[in-house]
Amino acid sequence: MTNAENTELIALALRSVDGASRRLISAAKTVYGTPETGFNEHKTAQYVLEQLSAIGLAVETGIARTGMKAILRGGSAGPTVAVIAELDALRVPGHPGANADTGAAHACGHHAQIGSLLGVAMALNTPEIKKALSGNVAFIITPAEEFIDIGERLDLRASGAVEFLSGKQEMIRLGTFDDVDMAMMVHTSATNGESTFNIGGTSTAHVSHQVRYIGKSAHAGGAPDQGINALQAAMLANLAINTQRETFREADVVRVHGIISSGGTSVNAIPSEVLYEGRVRARTVEAIAKISEQVVRCYRAGALALGTAVEVQTIAGYHPLQQNLAMQEVFVQNAERIIGQDSISAVPGDRTAGGSTDMGDLSMIMPLIHPYVNAASGVGHGHDYLIEDYDRAVIAPAKVMAATIIDLLSDGAQTARAALDGYIPPMTADQYVAAQREQFTTEIYEPQQARGNKATARTAGDGEEAG
Amino acid sequence: MSDRSDLKSSFNRAINGRAGELERIARDILDHPESGFREIRTSKLVADWFSENGLEVQTGVAKTGVVGTYDTGRPGPHIAVMGELDSLIVPGHINADPDTGAAHACGHHAQIGSMLTVATGLLDEWVKKGLSGRVSFMATPAEEYIELEYRESLRENGEIEFFGGKQEFIRLGLFDAVDIAMLTHTGSETAGTFGVGGSNNGMIGKTVQYIGKAAHAGGSPHLGINALNAAQIGLAAVHAQRETFRDADSVRVHPIITRGGDAVNSVPADVRIETYVRASNVPAILSASEKVDRALRAGALATGASVRIKTAPGYLPARYDQRLIDVYRHNAASLIGDDNVIELHHSTGCTDVGDVSQIVSTIQPTANATSGNGHGVDYLVEDYELAVIKAGKAMGLTVIDLLADGGEKGTRIAGSFNAPMTTAEYVSRMRGFRSDMTFVE
Repeated sequence: MTNAENTELIALALRSVDGASRRLISAAKTVYGTPETGFNEHKTAQYVLEQLSAIGLAVETGIARTGMKAILRGGSAGPTVAVIAELDALRVPGHPGANADTGAAHACGHHAQIGSLLGVAMALNTPEIKKALSGNVAFIITPAEEFIDIGERLDLRASGAVEFLSGKQEMIRLGTFDDVDMAMMVHTSATNGESTFNIGGTSTAHVSHQVRYIGKSAHAGGAPDQGINALQAAMLANLAINTQRETFREADVVRVHGIISSGGTSVNAIPSEVLYEGRVRARTVEAIAKISEQVVRCYRAGALALGTAVEVQTIAGYHPLQQNLAMQEVFVQNAERIIGQDSISAVPGDRTAGGSTDMGDLSMIMPLIHPYVNAASGVGHGHDYLIEDYDRAVIAPAKVMAATIIDLLSDGAQTARAALDGYIPPMTADQYVAAQREQFTTEIYEPQQARGNKATARTAGDGEEAG
Repeated sequence: MSDRSDLKSSFNRAINGRAGELERIARDILDHPESGFREIRTSKLVADWFSENGLEVQTGVAKTGVVGTYDTGRPGPHIAVMGELDSLIVPGHINADPDTGAAHACGHHAQIGSMLTVATGLLDEWVKKGLSGRVSFMATPAEEYIELEYRESLRENGEIEFFGGKQEFIRLGLFDAVDIAMLTHTGSETAGTFGVGGSNNGMIGKTVQYIGKAAHAGGSPHLGINALNAAQIGLAAVHAQRETFRDADSVRVHPIITRGGDAVNSVPADVRIETYVRASNVPAILSASEKVDRALRAGALATGASVRIKTAPGYLPARYDQRLIDVYRHNAASLIGDDNVIELHHSTGCTDVGDVSQIVSTIQPTANATSGNGHGVDYLVEDYELAVIKAGKAMGLTVIDLLADGGEKGTRIAGSFNAPMTTAEYVSRMRGFRSDMTFVE
């Protein structure tokens, strides 16, 4: 892998990153100061466009609304390695970096990814390095990794602006990754111990439910008997969901959680419409299918008990993350060499983080790595999640990724080719898109209808005992 | 009128001479409590008394019921004076049977006393000569809607169809020729008063069974279907209905879990609930019952269990006839003074007197003679003179008003009573309440 020539190229790349470190950190902080939620990252995208252009890259913009892509071409043909950074913020009102109007806040450290991606671009965009690479580097800036604001994104979907609800999902659908062979990004983390990086393991897959209970409003004091309380239905569903928890196997790493996004409009009226956003996560798509069925049954139970109708819209979510061991090995070697011998710890491949990422989706169609850099304090997605060490968060990942790419694509890209050799993706991009589309369903359950059709009502004694 | 006062004076005198005996009978029943459709000793005691006092006796009506007929030989209205034979089951009550736990924690023993008091007074020769028509003294079994499994077994044997004694009396036709019915219940309002008016909730009963799937609760809970969780969701869903119950309907739904799982380390697969659904009127009972069924089904739907809901007819709401109340009030006041006859409110408890009240003009006054909580370990009749003697006198004086002068007043009241249903309609309606449904959602 790394030979004398590589060592020089890598040293050159590292010097570039060091030389630009103040600028890179400043770029990350600028993005931190302009938090925007997914598919709305217009200012952030404009800023990143300016930075990439200043580096001298030609940038394709407006992919999946706010996404971008820039190709750095090597001296000869070969595989294309993507470096990915995520544009979007979360919505965490109360975070010190939150936008006062929208509540958007970089409580997941995506801004640091922008800084490190710019660092890789700067480092590799030098004639000596480009010439030595057999293949290309794609810088892909993706919108909307946080799977939030479901209602807003469904509106975008309805208007045709997007089809899928996350940035990488859309970019896969749009073919942005069609000319990419492998991918990497480094995410910040606050939870993973002493070492600078950790790598390996998987994440959960998920599916979302947009649930709408339709009751009947009535004066809550004057005529509650005339109403049908949609909030009671939703709360009962939530109670029923909680009783399912004993059936969740630890091995499946199940997470079921939801919010009531609209729970009634005025306290003196029986709530006639209640919106619930639910999510089911698990280690495998199969486990999700089973749990999701249990959860949907609970949604229906709430409706049956109160006599409301319930509309359950199922929304395709993320796939579990699979990381490529060959790529991981190259990243680990470079981290150890550049940052220090103990700077990276490997997570067992079967360990599943409870969170989910659309890098999981990308990992269904190509080899990739998604290491974490431990540079934050606080709780991920919390009010107190802050990047404490920007050198670690921005500069270290830029260096290790740049070096990893040089290793992959120099020497005729034999390391990259070795990683790709024999790799069979779980699915093709077309299969992925078809599978996602299939998951989007809407059912309307009306208990009256159930009385006649779905429920089996009969006089006992004239058939077998129900089991 | 002087004739009428003479009759009443004779009636009261006849009772005064036997007051000690009548109170002793009530206390004897208190000491030998028997629950519904098991009132063998109590039934015999009443039947013997009827025979000894010259009434024509019919026994074994609705298993343990007894009817003593008093016939003036002259045409006129037919009045039923009732007393309930059965006790509750309240182990821990001071007068509880140590073996069965049966205890008169609802004062029915005093009703038998007051019923016999009426008979005692009316049997006076002078009184009898002044009256027209008939009086049936009905000692009815099983007013308390309890021991449902036992009664279900009686139903399966064909010994009874309905779970309340008076319901069976109605079904068997004993009220077909009755015009007016009355019974005095003990009560806990201001001591020393009679309560008149009021009304009672009606009810239906449900037995519910959730069938899940057993599995090791620690080792493989994901393979089980938890019937207890299903039941808990079902019950929570029942509670979520409460805001839709109208105040005017006085709805009561009060479930108990009679089986909640068999072993703590096994996912419960068979969980059972019993509940009543009570309300002040039949449409409200049916509406609440539908909501309860829907809620119980939701527990099955949420967990994948199945649920069997058996609904059985309970009692109908009681409505007392104001014209009859007015006659009674006058007589009650003559015994204890105007101020001591108080107006009752709606009671959310239920009684099979309600069923009778749907068919004939009915009153159920209360003799407020007790201490403690109804159905509790501390419910005691304190004032036997009021509960037995005066209660009997007030009813009997009312009977005299109804049957004197050729039974003119009784005929008028019976004639103006607009019965909600006939016996046949009653029986068919009660049968219509019964259902047995299994839902596999």
